[in-house]
Amino acid sequence: MKMEDMPLSGPDNTKLEALVHDIYSELVEDACLGLCFEVHRAVKQGYFFLDETDQESMKEFEIVDQPGVDIFGQVYNQWKNKECECPNCKRLIAASRFAPHLEKCLGMGRNSSRIANRRLASNNNMSKSESDQEDNDDLNDNDWSYGAEKKAKKRKSDKNQNSPRRSKSLKHKNGELGSSISSESYKYNYNTGISYETLGPDEVRSLLTTQCGVISEHTKKMCNRPSLTDADAVVENDSFDIPDGQMLMSRLQWEDSPDISPTDSASSKASTNHSESRKPKKKKRTSLGLNSGGSGSSVGGGGGGLTGGSSSSSSSQSNISLSTKKKRPKLSAPSITSIYDDLN
Amino acid sequence: MSRESRMRATINQRLTEKGERERLKELLRVKLTECGWKDQMKAHCKEVIKDKGLEHITVEDLVVEITPKGRALVPDSVKKELLQRIRAFLAQHAT
Repeated sequence: MKMEDMPLSGPDNTKLEALVHDIYSELVEDACLGLCFEVHRAVKQGYFFLDETDQESMKEFEIVDQPGVDIFGQVYNQWKNKECECPNCKRLIAASRFAPHLEKCLGMGRNSSRIANRRLASNNNMSKSESDQEDNDDLNDNDWSYGAEKKAKKRKSDKNQNSPRRSKSLKHKNGELGSSISSESYKYNYNTGISYETLGPDEVRSLLTTQCGVISEHTKKMCNRPSLTDADAVVENDSFDIPDGQMLMSRLQWEDSPDISPTDSASSKASTNHSESRKPKKKKRTSLGLNSGGSGSSVGGGGGGLTGGSSSSSSSQSNISLSTKKKRPKLSAPSITSIYDDLN
Repeated sequence: MSRESRMRATINQRLTEKGERERLKELLRVKLTECGWKDQMKAHCKEVIKDKGLEHITVEDLVVEITPKGRALVPDSVKKELLQRIRAFLAQHAT
């Protein structure tokens, strides 16, 4: 507000202005007095000079006012270009990348196990499919070659591991049972090729009698659920007859040998699964879950669980309990022979 | 003159009654601390105390030394703002 706006006349204005200045002076003096009292009290109480120390310390902690440096004299991006030596792999890593590198190097991060498993899987399958094609010239003649199929499927699966679409479609497939088995069977075999083929028949049998053994298609991990044969056989099986079981076992084991000899186990696996898909759907499949793996697909055969060399003996055990649950032990024999008709 | 003094008294009274005086005091204190006036004055006090001696310093000594310097050291911007506020108050409440 300017003086011109004021409604008062000239002499009054000067007086008014004087008054304003007087009021102002009063306020300033008041502030000064307040300060004096404060200081005097501090002196008499002994805390006025507390912030002063000896000259050396004063110099040391003086406020720094240089460019590129903070008030303590520290440089901001001092560690940007420094390199640290990794205690694990002894490499020199840039400081900003050190923590993520350690995570992967020590195998302790969230993603490191996933990546390692994926790498292992791809390495195994690459070497496996290569050796397949070298060993078996017959494969090359066939129109349908398991190794090529595997490679093609592998490329497709490697495309986009994490895309939401992919996982959606896979889950959808896993939910459906009969119709999708034929397409899935190749994938199953591709997955079981990781662990089941490397183990011997006895090892696989012991493994599958204690655990579920189903290998998930997404995570490539084996399901560790306690096996249905062990748990359920004790509780639920009314009709579990030992003689029947042994008969089945012997029948299945006899079927084992022709399976192994002519072609390699991988291809027979695929073909049996392929034929099994034609079997009518059975409810028992859902209970086991249909992710992947030999035992999963073997259930679909309803006792004719021939998934190829190594896993067939173990799967036969699970088939025994399942087939007896369904109370159809006799069905297994004709179904087995029908499978072999298809093969031959 | 008496009219003037009467006017002054009235205005001062009004200033206090409306609470404007307290507000102005607080505003001034804040502004002086912000602009560093208080630290300057404290440094000056230290010198005075060191001159006169820690034990024998009195309030009067300090007041005598500090007030003139304090008045002079108030920044122009703070002074202008305060004057403006006082004038506004007077314009509002002066009859």
